[in-house]
Amino acid sequence: MSAEAETLADAAPALPVGHYAYDQVDRAFLHDRVEQFRDQVARRISGALSEDEFKPLRLMNGLYLQLHAYMLRIAIPYGMLDSRQMRELAHIARTYDRDYGHFTTRQNLQFNWIRLEDTPDILARLASVDMHAIQTSGNCIRNVTCDQFAGAAADELVDPRVHAEILRQWSTLHPEFSFLPRKFKIAVSGSPHDRVAARFHDIGLVAKPGHGGKVVFDVFVGGGMGRTPLVGVHLRDNLPEEDLLAYLEAMVRVYNEYGRRDNIYKARIKILVQALGAEGYRARVDAEFAAMDRARYRLPPETVAAIRARFGTPDLAAPAGAAESLAAARAADRAFDRWARTNTHPHRHPGYVSAVISLKPDGGIPGDATAAQMDRIADLADRFSFGEIRITHMQNIVLGHVRQDQLHALWQDLRAVGLATANIGLIGDIIACPGLDYCSLANARSIPIAQKLSARFASPELQETIGDLQIKISGCINACGHHHAGHIGILGVDKKGEEFFQLTLGGSAGNDAAVGQILGPALPEDATVDAIARLVDAYLVHRNTGERFLDTYRRLGAALFKDAVYAVA
Amino acid sequence: MDVRNNRRQAGGSSVVTANRLLDGRIVWLAEDGVWSDRIDAAKVFANDGPQGGSERGSEGGSNGGIESVIAAVAARQQADGVVGVYGVQLRDDSATPVPATVRERIRAFGPSVHPEFAPFTEATTNVR
Ligand code: HEM
Ligand code: SF4
Repeated sequence: MSAEAETLADAAPALPVGHYAYDQVDRAFLHDRVEQFRDQVARRISGALSEDEFKPLRLMNGLYLQLHAYMLRIAIPYGMLDSRQMRELAHIARTYDRDYGHFTTRQNLQFNWIRLEDTPDILARLASVDMHAIQTSGNCIRNVTCDQFAGAAADELVDPRVHAEILRQWSTLHPEFSFLPRKFKIAVSGSPHDRVAARFHDIGLVAKPGHGGKVVFDVFVGGGMGRTPLVGVHLRDNLPEEDLLAYLEAMVRVYNEYGRRDNIYKARIKILVQALGAEGYRARVDAEFAAMDRARYRLPPETVAAIRARFGTPDLAAPAGAAESLAAARAADRAFDRWARTNTHPHRHPGYVSAVISLKPDGGIPGDATAAQMDRIADLADRFSFGEIRITHMQNIVLGHVRQDQLHALWQDLRAVGLATANIGLIGDIIACPGLDYCSLANARSIPIAQKLSARFASPELQETIGDLQIKISGCINACGHHHAGHIGILGVDKKGEEFFQLTLGGSAGNDAAVGQILGPALPEDATVDAIARLVDAYLVHRNTGERFLDTYRRLGAALFKDAVYAVA
Repeated sequence: MDVRNNRRQAGGSSVVTANRLLDGRIVWLAEDGVWSDRIDAAKVFANDGPQGGSERGSEGGSNGGIESVIAAVAARQQADGVVGVYGVQLRDDSATPVPATVRERIRAFGPSVHPEFAPFTEATTNVR
């Protein structure tokens, strides 16, 4: 940190921990934007604007018309919230919606039962806590996502939030990139262990220290799911921090210029990268990069430091015996011990741990939280984690910095509100998109399958025996539920107006990113859960000791699993 | 609005649906051009034959084919306070209107994961 940034940080002790502190310029901008939308809504209601004219305007403010009502998608930039913001979200859920909200794989929050009339007021309430719904929709650079353990993880090399914030500022209302051929998604990781699915994004960035400790980036491009699932191409290594914006500008500019606009399914950068080939795309980006006014896009260290200084940082100080105290609590309480094993992540600071709050109760709706739970999570964040809350792309919640000697108390409080399910990374930790229960694009329901599976595998002992197994469910080919990247993927398909489910096996979102392979014909709704249970049984029978499902599948291939699923008398 | 999975066939019968402009909620065209949030209040129309609709523009035309009704209703959607008017094919084996596809059944009867949100258990409010 530069001396200047250090003084800035000292001068403003009340910065929110974990995310960027807005100033009056940011606030005035949001306020103007809310009033602009208020006027647009009034003109829509009066009929001065037709639906066709209004639709792009409401989408620019995150407002969709879904199956049952309007849906509002609120951005949670790089997944970071503070307790005050969470309480406001709870208030909105209670006042304007049906008492719950839905956390998504894009680190957003969706409300499903919003009234058009109320939306300007809701946006004003969000603005009052420095939140908005800008760029949660539309053909622009969407909410930049990052690692849920940013700034806390033991394996982290660079804190990716600062660069995610820089990209947020760079991309917000970027005049050249407000009307791209399609939506555009960027994820940033600062750890060598990919927890952001960098290889499944339009652009994935992995930050690391380069020569002299200066931050550099490995760049992936052209990954994505949807109807053409592709693992991103490794475009280059060691992109200097100073050139980050210039290089991304060149990357997106090439896409904006050459990306197809005649067919929305082919309008993604992944299609362009495939069409040009990695070499062809790289050559165009390099040419653009060489030709552009680099000084204009230079990201100097002082700017990075100034942005970093607007992040509040926790004052980490755990008592010397914290680790021993945690070990004693675990030894004394088996249920707590299990939760501590599955639902925590190693912290870089001794005496601390990151705690994951599962939003996947047995038989529950993945990602849903009631207003009361949101309030409670805010309270617990204040008590145990500096008021800081993170949303994960697995639809769970993280308290980043929990003292080890306080973890047991946290767990007891979570248990009291039904938020202590010990299933992170296990078969119960299912990602499911909203599917046909809410989404107007869906072909089949995702949530009931997730509910039935998590109820079926509710036993914590069984879940731990099965081990690391990621089930991901999408209700249509758009793949919001990441089914292509699931160890077991489930895709809803429509056959003559009825729901069917297609299974894919072998996908992965991590460093070993892979697109799952279709196992065979789609199954009717009432056969799907049983089929998956047989598939899991086949794995348990055939695995080697300690082997993950994914590795057994990779070792043995599909035939065995195909038999388990389809060969029923 | 992007509407998929709501296919209609040549034969059978249909009802007309839309979303209310102010709150986005699903409504069904009932008698006399009133919009109801209950599908059991919906007026049932015989589907058009292979030739398509009869003449267009008849106000809610109770005698018009479904296509001409949809066209007429779509033309006055701003005045009605609705958006996204389209027709929904019904099952032909039910006494009350039941949509043929899962999608439209979920629209009509509420999200299956929240039975308490079914339109039938909520207070009804007709618009217009
Ligand atoms: C219910 C309203 C939603 C609508 C209308 C919607 C729409 C879409 C569409 C059209 C696509 C395809 C984009 C493409 O061509 O790649 C897509 C993909 C996606 N959506 Fe959604 N979505 C919705 C909800 C969600 C939710 C709740 C999540 C998170 C849980 C989500 C996360 C994603 C992701 C991660 C993709 C994958 C895109 C890619 O990488 O190619 N969406 N969505
Ligand atoms: S995958 Fe399809 S069904 Fe699921 S939320 Fe995305 S668009 Fe809707």
